[in-house]
Amino acid sequence: MSEANSAPTPVAPVQESTRFLDLVQSLGLLIVIIIGGVMLSFGSPVFFTRINIENLLFSSTIIAVMAIGQAFVILVAGIDLSVGAVLALSSVLGVVLATQFGFPVIIAALVALGVGAGIGLLNGLAVTKLRVPALIATLAMMSVTRGVAYLISDGRNIAPVPSIFIEIQSLRIFGVPFVIIFTAMVALLAHFVLTRTRFGREIFATGGNAVAARLAGIKTDRVILIAYVISGSAAALGGLMITARLEAGAATAGFGYELTVISAVVIGGVSLFGGEGKITGVLLGVILLGLVQNAVNLLNVPPNYDYIVSGAVIAAAAALDVYRRSYVESGLRKRTMLIRREKSQNRTGSE
Amino acid sequence: MSAVPSASPPVPVHGETLLIADNVSKTFPGVIALDEVTFEVRAGEVNALVGENGAGKSTLIKIMSGNYAPDGGEVRVEGNRLEATPAAAHRARVATIHQDSHLVPNMTVAENIMLGHWPVRFGIISRREQYRRAQQAISLVAPSLSPNMLAHRLSPAEGQLVEIARAISENSRVLIMDEPTTSLSGREIEQLFRVVDGLKAQGMGIVFVSHWLEEVFRIADRVTVLRDGRLVGTQPADTLDADGVIRMMVGRDVAHVTAQPRPIGDTVLRVRNLTRVGVVDDISFEVRAGEIVTLAGLVGAGRTELASCIFGADPYESGSVELGGQTVSPGSPHPAIQAGIGLVPEDRRHQGLVANLSVSTNATLAVLDRIAPNGFLSRRLEDEAVATATRSVAVKMASTSVPISTLSGGNQQKVVIGRWLARQPKLLILDEPTKGIDVGSKAEISEIIIRLATAGTAILLISSEMPEVLSLSDRVLVMRSGRIVGELDRSNLTPEAVISLATTG
Repeated sequence: MSEANSAPTPVAPVQESTRFLDLVQSLGLLIVIIIGGVMLSFGSPVFFTRINIENLLFSSTIIAVMAIGQAFVILVAGIDLSVGAVLALSSVLGVVLATQFGFPVIIAALVALGVGAGIGLLNGLAVTKLRVPALIATLAMMSVTRGVAYLISDGRNIAPVPSIFIEIQSLRIFGVPFVIIFTAMVALLAHFVLTRTRFGREIFATGGNAVAARLAGIKTDRVILIAYVISGSAAALGGLMITARLEAGAATAGFGYELTVISAVVIGGVSLFGGEGKITGVLLGVILLGLVQNAVNLLNVPPNYDYIVSGAVIAAAAALDVYRRSYVESGLRKRTMLIRREKSQNRTGSE
Repeated sequence: MSAVPSASPPVPVHGETLLIADNVSKTFPGVIALDEVTFEVRAGEVNALVGENGAGKSTLIKIMSGNYAPDGGEVRVEGNRLEATPAAAHRARVATIHQDSHLVPNMTVAENIMLGHWPVRFGIISRREQYRRAQQAISLVAPSLSPNMLAHRLSPAEGQLVEIARAISENSRVLIMDEPTTSLSGREIEQLFRVVDGLKAQGMGIVFVSHWLEEVFRIADRVTVLRDGRLVGTQPADTLDADGVIRMMVGRDVAHVTAQPRPIGDTVLRVRNLTRVGVVDDISFEVRAGEIVTLAGLVGAGRTELASCIFGADPYESGSVELGGQTVSPGSPHPAIQAGIGLVPEDRRHQGLVANLSVSTNATLAVLDRIAPNGFLSRRLEDEAVATATRSVAVKMASTSVPISTLSGGNQQKVVIGRWLARQPKLLILDEPTKGIDVGSKAEISEIIIRLATAGTAILLISSEMPEVLSLSDRVLVMRSGRIVGELDRSNLTPEAVISLATTG
């Protein structure tokens, strides 16, 4: 009888009850990290010290910056395997330009960033214009880029680096390492872009359904292109950061980083199919991986077990995440049932 | 040793209850798919399950076939509770034939029939025995089919018969058929029905789901109607007629929506000599403000392709598209949208929606430039745009923040239409806007189209549904093989004229 076909029926209180579920959804990894941390602090007295925590965050910064860039690419359903190599090229290029060609450090750094962005642009063009699968395009780019880094440096570490690198590395603001603050700012910016700008919306729409996005007037090719440019730039930024840490420009730096970075992004809840994910999740993914590394060091795990432990933790975290998602989903179902009950009380029986 | 009981099952007593879904409920995020529904199948009967899209038919079938566990209630087969796994359903001898084929394409017909219940001796499949049993089952439904044919070479109709043969070879007592006739021709449907009649006579209980009421009345002994996840009722087929079933499905009489004559304004869209080689050929026509022009024709006549060209989504070799006197450049939908064209695409799921994103994000996808004037989203503008998009088309939803995938098909479609309303397009192209959505929503969408036209929007409609073509169109352009072969207006618009032009024009 009272079929609501005339008036729209938005139901407001629903949002209230979703909040807890949302919390579980976004905090799932945090809970894993906290449990891991508590267990670790029993295992090692060193863990819960300011120095160790700071160390953990500090050593995660490079992967964090690269993972934030990678997240943009994975959100548009792409993948960027070239980031480790871009990091190396940027590292070598920054030092060589500044020390051997006498460029001002800031110019050298900007050129390195620009080259990273340019490599991202090439990746993006290959994917959008030539329609090469992202896996192949960036794999090829990884090889070429690493090769150029070796060519420039002849495979040697280039040291010393300009002193500004070392100064920034040890700079502290209110007692907190500047590098950590800087990384947090990068994350904040990325979060803002993804959630509060038109470009962010276009990223999610393109990754979620590129055909629908295009038919709604979104220039999907351009969106994908920019995502790769962001990833390339972020990797180049990682290159400058690792130069400061190693105090050298190193063509060998960042081997295998692409897999660490992608693992962090995916553990952080960004869907490999695109269109789904959050920067907060990515950061938690990075921290979880950092925590594992930290544990391996603190608990004196023999180096040969290192990879096995890391792999096991990644698998466990991913499994836990799947479980958490299904928990949230069943919560949503129960909620729906309640709403329907409420509604049906206002209805007259129709049988 | 043998994994398959070779003795034939006890002869069932006609009329005995084989399967009963007793008070089953099922919820998904955002929807209650089934609410305490009871459904029963007896030996030797066809119980037809009907209802609008989103009424809960698919969910009920998935529960009866062991794919979903009900949140409340239970399914019993011959008195025993059914565990919610497909394997348990097989053991309970409940077979399901899905809308789309579930055959392994690179296996033979015989291998497919015996899939999962291979005649095994000491772990080795006996090919001869497999062939023999498959042949036996197939001779009952399609004697002309070779058991050695690879499944991917079967037509959809043959595939369906093979799946029925599989059910027979498993000694199934209950056969669930989910819209089995969708991809079949009239002759094939009749053949299928003869097979079903035969199975019925042997005491099998059959659940038959279809959108086509003629088929339902041809085959069903009883008809069960679902609406909004609830049971409306089960009645003997001979006590019902089509109008009665429709009333049960929609819960009210469906008013016929007909466009009234209204003032027609200046030319909005002018297409001149548009040609895309091999797709559309030398197309010229106009649509005026407030006018509803329908492209009719058979599937594959080039209507969707023409719309894609006009919208800029597909390139074309020659000709031009003008909107309000301005040429719209091809190659990307963006210029067309800026010029004032909107498109509601044919395939909602693949072309219209970003399924995992919220209703509000989907509703504002085409107005990002307006809700984010400097690139930054304005919450106020966004809320306004969402309100415009969803209120004007009366979307039924729990909230605008739920994923759009949780809405029913009709409501999803309303969001896709609403998306354009915030832009106030000069021309709105709707490609099969009521395809695959329920009767109630169909009427609502027709009303929306008429309202837009009355407000002065030029409408280019693509529709294959004759009643819709007849009731909405001011003019009909009939297409065939990429060309416009005829034009009809209200004075000479009849179903016969449309069909004759579409097929022979």
